[in-house]
Amino acid sequence: MNRFRLSPLLRWTLVLLAMFALVSPAAAELREYGLWWTPEAATKGAHHVDNLFVFIFWLTAIVFVATQAVYVWFLIKYRRKRGVPAHYSHGNNTLEIWWTIIPAAIFIGLVIWSNRIWYRELRAPAPADSIQIDLVSYQYGWHVRNPGSDGKLGAYKAQLTAKENWFGTEPDDEAGRDDYQSEGIVTVPVGRPVHILLRSLDVIHAFYVPEFRMYQDAIPGRMIDWVWFEATKIGNYELACSQLCGSGHYNMKAKMNVVSQEEYDKFVREKSKAAAIEFEKKKAAQAAPPAVAPAATAETVSPPAAPAVAAR
Amino acid sequence: MAAVAEPRPLESGVAPVALDPHVHAHHEQGIFRTYIWSHDHKMIAKQYLLTALFFLIVGGLLAMGVRYKIAFPNVPIYGLNWLLPSYMVSEEGVILPQMYNMLFTMHATVMVFFVVMPLLIGVFGNYLIPLQIGAPDMAFPFFNALSYWLYALSGVMILCSFFVDGGAAAGGWTSYAPLSNNAAYNLTQKGQSLWCLGIFVNGLSSLSGAMNYITTVINMRAPGMRMFRMPLTVWALFITALLLLLAVPVLGAAASMLYLDLNFGTHFFQASGGGDPLLWQHLFWFFGHPEVYIMILPAMGISSEILPVFARKPVFGYRAMVWAMAGIAILGFIVWGHHMFVSGMNITLSAVFSVSTMIIAVPSAIKTFNWMGTVWRGSVRFTTPMLFALGFVSMFVIGGLSGIFMASTPVDLFVHHTYFIVAHIHYVLFGGSILNIYAAIYYWFPKMFGRMMNETWGRIHFWITLIFMNLTFFPMHNVGLGGMMRRIADPTQYEHLRALQPINIFITLSAFVLGASTLIFFVNFFYSMFKGPKAPPNPWEANTLEWTLPSPVTLHGNFEKTPTVYHGPYEYSVPGMDKDFLPQDEPLKPEVKLGGH
Amino acid sequence: MDAHATALIGPGLNPVQPNRMVRFGMFTFLASEAMLFAGLIGGYIVLRLSNPNYIPAGVHLPVLQTLAATAVLVGSSFTCIWGERQARAHKRPTWALFITIVMGSLFLLNQVFEWSHLYHEGIWFNTYGTFASSFFTLTGFHGLHVFIGVLLLIAAWMLSLAGKFDGNNHNFLDCASLYWHFVDIVWIVVFAIIYLW
Ligand code: HEA
Ligand code: HEA
Ligand code: CUA
Ligand SMILES: [Cu+2]
Repeated sequence: MNRFRLSPLLRWTLVLLAMFALVSPAAAELREYGLWWTPEAATKGAHHVDNLFVFIFWLTAIVFVATQAVYVWFLIKYRRKRGVPAHYSHGNNTLEIWWTIIPAAIFIGLVIWSNRIWYRELRAPAPADSIQIDLVSYQYGWHVRNPGSDGKLGAYKAQLTAKENWFGTEPDDEAGRDDYQSEGIVTVPVGRPVHILLRSLDVIHAFYVPEFRMYQDAIPGRMIDWVWFEATKIGNYELACSQLCGSGHYNMKAKMNVVSQEEYDKFVREKSKAAAIEFEKKKAAQAAPPAVAPAATAETVSPPAAPAVAAR
Repeated sequence: MAAVAEPRPLESGVAPVALDPHVHAHHEQGIFRTYIWSHDHKMIAKQYLLTALFFLIVGGLLAMGVRYKIAFPNVPIYGLNWLLPSYMVSEEGVILPQMYNMLFTMHATVMVFFVVMPLLIGVFGNYLIPLQIGAPDMAFPFFNALSYWLYALSGVMILCSFFVDGGAAAGGWTSYAPLSNNAAYNLTQKGQSLWCLGIFVNGLSSLSGAMNYITTVINMRAPGMRMFRMPLTVWALFITALLLLLAVPVLGAAASMLYLDLNFGTHFFQASGGGDPLLWQHLFWFFGHPEVYIMILPAMGISSEILPVFARKPVFGYRAMVWAMAGIAILGFIVWGHHMFVSGMNITLSAVFSVSTMIIAVPSAIKTFNWMGTVWRGSVRFTTPMLFALGFVSMFVIGGLSGIFMASTPVDLFVHHTYFIVAHIHYVLFGGSILNIYAAIYYWFPKMFGRMMNETWGRIHFWITLIFMNLTFFPMHNVGLGGMMRRIADPTQYEHLRALQPINIFITLSAFVLGASTLIFFVNFFYSMFKGPKAPPNPWEANTLEWTLPSPVTLHGNFEKTPTVYHGPYEYSVPGMDKDFLPQDEPLKPEVKLGGH
Repeated sequence: MDAHATALIGPGLNPVQPNRMVRFGMFTFLASEAMLFAGLIGGYIVLRLSNPNYIPAGVHLPVLQTLAATAVLVGSSFTCIWGERQARAHKRPTWALFITIVMGSLFLLNQVFEWSHLYHEGIWFNTYGTFASSFFTLTGFHGLHVFIGVLLLIAAWMLSLAGKFDGNNHNFLDCASLYWHFVDIVWIVVFAIIYLW
């Protein structure tokens, strides 16, 4: 067997490789945080995720390098040589036991660590003083509702959620008087827990901000109420819908603006004043609001009293 | 084509094949019965092979479309605009986002259901099970033929779906409801309906195959072929068939519900009608996770077969290999929730699924170490099949290790639905299943077609594939960590992804070379089929029963005389023998002793 | 086989009869059928548990009538067993099969009446939420299986009329009746979760 027959091929490949290698990084306008790694974390709990991530990275890197080095070494050392027969052996039960126990132990340790973080940090209930922000996703965009100066969102009823009344609010709910509604711009203060209420009007969408290390699907017919974060860095981030939701999915995004507390207070003051005026106008206009039908679907049928599945 | 002289007597331990009297007709069979409605498992395997290779081109070209659009989202392809309707491409010839969704949806559907499953199970299951256990054919030749034709039918349905009004299904291969079950949302009622039907019919095909394999393996082994003397390929295919039998019908049920939702106005997955969108996900992944092991277990079986042959050494830990596969199969049914950690499912359930997912990595670890043990102190020959089988081990380790990241719920919170997942998929499916399919084709080609494939071109194919698959799929980890979502037609829409675009272009260029490397394989394949050097019966000096037969195997009942099996399949380099292999049907000389286990 | 070889390879496998093998294959087939229904029934249970008023107020299922139909279907399994025994005892199972077919058809007839009754009440696949969806899908899938079972039994009956069964050769009947028992068992589950729960 001629092992050197490959060399012209390898040379050719190397040339190509070099070409590729030159093309891409040269053209890359470098991001602040580099191209090859995660974006810098911007929330309080994110370091838990990052620690785990980095741990698993090193674990797997070591496992990979170790196994492959041994493997390649075997392949070189035990390549066919004239007069050297293969060793006749069917295996070794002691080894078998060890390489069952050791990975199992590593995995169990890892999963205990993971689940602790999952439960205690990432899925702990939102703190009582968090700001609630209502996010309603639809094909293809985000309705956003910030609480006004009273710090409280107007009540939400699943039955009222519809294309015309996407937050499912009561028109005469006083708590909703100064709530500020917007399209595709989420504004939150830095350094305060923010509690996200996630809903969808049609198909499944998702809340994904890489810098927050956070992903959650929004399911029609339910409200997801366990997502919360505390941003640690002021900045303009992008909120992407990361669940395939149709032809406009690729572009279903929102701005995620983390601003200072002062700026946020100013934002709330201005916006809620305007919102209150709007609210009065609306209230006057529709003195007797018509009953709103459940979210319209393509079907002509509407089942009797579509039961809304409440948040769990 | 020679006919079998007599129906076998029952005492031979092998059931007579004559379940269908035509199979053993003493006269020459017509073209129709030989090539089209054949009941011979070897011919059916070849039918599967050619059809699935055709679909490999289809699925691969769809992938090329995917890569093109990601790298050059606004660059038109001239001519496309008059080839395809306006809901697929813009007037200038730019692929529209909806078309992009069709591309990756159908890419995955084709690759999973029409390439990998048929190649691993349809081709090698059919070809190898009877030959390796010493049986004259499958238990139910009629259902075997039916299985192929149902597969072909479902393939036609899937291909047709591109040409119906609205185009093919565009909801991802996972077809999450309520996007998939509502025409107003997915814009392609007919395409999605055809997807459901195609998957259903494809499932029927898998099931008739699975019934056959299980019945054959349990009932038709040659005398002496105890379960623990079966080649690991047969074990793998047997366990895979069990998985198919229990997982595929659930997808059938789910696809039926989806079809009814789409066309008859039921509300299974429609939240506004009281249905539950998560129900679809549970049903799909209850099938879907076993499905990914359905796609890897036969591949593992193949490499467990090839590594000992070319290391000239018994497989390391035969029983451990079998138990590991059984463990993967059983655990495979209780880990489906790891696809749904962040789907809105109950968060305690997520924790439970994360535990079972970590546990299921243990049997894979056992197998990896056993493969390494097999080459340890061997006498390794780097033939093309061996190169692919060796490459598989490394690539599978990369893919498996990225699975560990996602099995940890907090990390999945970050990487879910990013290109990190896409990298994982392709390391296990391309680096795992496809590399082993290549290995198996190079390895069994002589037996199937009576000719050898070209070694030099085989090795060139291997190295280009290995290098460019890594250049294609490895950087996907990085863009995924950089925050790039999967299933987006145009990453440049996002400010934070624009900087990653050069990497995407790099990936696409590599993918094109990877695709082109496949051409080398195709040329080698078809050239060798007609012009390759004639193959001896046992070119690799292997032990399993198929190599005791002439190449190609022409006899309709496979064996002139039912073989008797005296020992396990991996007795290589037994000390005290004058040759370094020991076919399973060759009695041992009294002075030679086999090792333990 | 010489003694040395026997010692080496062990006792070897028992010769397998094609009949047994076909029955074995039938069991694998039924296992997959069971998973099909497991999927559908699982869907029903999930949807029902997530919804407190699952069965809408306007829907009244004819429980007693269906109970009677259930009794008929269960009874037909026994007549089917009777037929099998006859065949095994070298008798023609013609009458037993005929009665089984009639009972099976009665069950189907009842289902047709029930569906058309519900249809006229305005209850159909696309109305009354997920209850109607599941109800029609489950009973529909099951009814289709009963229908196929009846066709199989009719085929067996015709074979019996033609004198094709004898004490040793009644494989087709065995398989048809396995299928029939399976359909019967599935119905008991479906009946329990839809009508009695
Ligand atoms: C052949 C196919 C195949 C295989 C074998 C696997 C194997 C594994 N997969 Fe993968 N998976 C897919 C195909 C496959 N997967 C596909 C197609 C998807 C995406 C579906 C979609 O959404 O479209 C997916 C998605 C997927 C997810 C969901 C991710 C998400 O959507 O967020 C997860 C999460 O846990 C996961 C985990 C795993 C794990 C833990 C394994 C393990 O079995 C791997 C075990 C192997 C090893 C670990 C390597 C060898 C071991 C050693 C060398 C020992 C030492 C190691 C250590 C001590 C660390 N996979
Ligand atoms: C067995 C399974 C399998 C295989 C083999 C492949 C093979 C490939 N896949 Fe696939 N892929 C999946 C299964 C598979 N994939 C799945 C399950 C998904 C998820 C889908 C979803 O999200 O729903 C996915 C998604 C997926 C994506 C993500 C899409 C997205 O999320 O937006 C991408 C992107 O790069 C991709 C690329 C490729 C490439 C470049 C190959 C290459 O390896 C292909 C190489 C082969 C060929 C090209 C064929 C031979 C071609 C010729 C002989 C002609 C010559 C061709 C030219 C050069 C023009 N795949
Ligand atoms: Cu909304 Cu994707
Ligand atoms: Cu999985």
